[in-house]
Amino acid sequence: MSLDRDQVFEKVRSHLAEELGVAADSIVETTHFRDDLDADSLDLYELVMELEDTYGVTMSEQEAEGIVTVSQAVDFVVART
Amino acid sequence: MGVTVALDGQGVERGADALRAGAEAVIAEGIGIRLFGDPASLPEIDGAEVVPAADHISNDEEPVAAVRRRTDASVVRAAADAAEGHSDALVSAGPTGATMTAALFAMKRIKGVRRPALALQLAVPGHDGPPTLLLDVGANTEARSQDLVQFGVLGAAFSRAVLGVAAPRVALLSVGEESKKGTPIVIEAHEELAGLDGVDFIGNVEGRDLLGAVADVIVTDGFTGNVALKTLEGTAKAVGAAVSDAARSNPLAAMGGLLLRPALGGLRREMDPDTTGGAILLGLRGVAVVAHGSSGPDGIANAIRLAARTVSERAVDRTAELLASAGATRGDLAPDKKTS
Repeated sequence: MSLDRDQVFEKVRSHLAEELGVAADSIVETTHFRDDLDADSLDLYELVMELEDTYGVTMSEQEAEGIVTVSQAVDFVVART
Repeated sequence: MGVTVALDGQGVERGADALRAGAEAVIAEGIGIRLFGDPASLPEIDGAEVVPAADHISNDEEPVAAVRRRTDASVVRAAADAAEGHSDALVSAGPTGATMTAALFAMKRIKGVRRPALALQLAVPGHDGPPTLLLDVGANTEARSQDLVQFGVLGAAFSRAVLGVAAPRVALLSVGEESKKGTPIVIEAHEELAGLDGVDFIGNVEGRDLLGAVADVIVTDGFTGNVALKTLEGTAKAVGAAVSDAARSNPLAAMGGLLLRPALGGLRREMDPDTTGGAILLGLRGVAVVAHGSSGPDGIANAIRLAARTVSERAVDRTAELLASAGATRGDLAPDKKTS
């Protein structure tokens, strides 16, 4: 059964807001991790692990490198659950 | 209640005897040990609880990939154990990169910390006071100015909580004492540190000051810190060998050497890496100590004592408090929040 997209988006948004110290409402689907949030590889690895732990998905290094926006992260999870 | 340490039983270069003697010494002091590794290769340690973890990560593996995929590796299991609260801290003498990565992924960063830093206590020869804390000695080869500012706060909090320095003097490693000396990142960090509340920033120091007891915390990026550390170690080794050779060069010198031996023995113990026990990863929500790979029994025991003391002094909570009160969280230091 696929997850509700909004729930996954909220999970991604709350994680990023908490870890990066930014306002949650500043994070939208089109938000770019590096350009808009100044997130680096460490931040992204932590997001990947959070998603893996929460939703039971597995993301390879190559797949993780290709995910650069919030919507791409949400799409990845929704497509695999 | 006493402190329990998750001890990675793999990767101790000096073998099972060093691990056993070090662990048994601290168990006798009331520190609990949960020992992770392959039971077939672990020594029997009186009072330690063995937690089987069949896999281990070697020095030549890429740390991030190995930690993510080798979930039964001893250091990964031990880090998770501490993060989940079954134990209070992680100590490993295994590969530094894998230990840092496992700790970072399992324990997470303190809220508001961008980059954790590896901090090492430098024994200052002939100085009775607490050691000087040098950070970063290798967690981040590159650092932004905001990272250096945070390292100053992390170091100050640790120095205060664990080393007992009431008002730690924080300095920035550079190529001159003047505020405009150094790379653009160092110059910017200097300006930001000078404006921080609750941190006694004394300005720049130079490489020659590392063992001069002029500061309690010396901040730099991980590349420079690691080069500086290895330079100190190499210099100490070379000078020690030269002194030894000189003391054997003729009968009169040998007599002088004999007279100096007790004093030099004390100095050697003071400067021995085993005395400080290893480096601690600061900026995490948990406690992780990276013991020297070549640790002997004292090195293992002192690494565990360092971890236990960091737990009992609530250093993590006190670090988070200082970051917030000093206005040095990631959000505080973001480029759009700067007033200058």
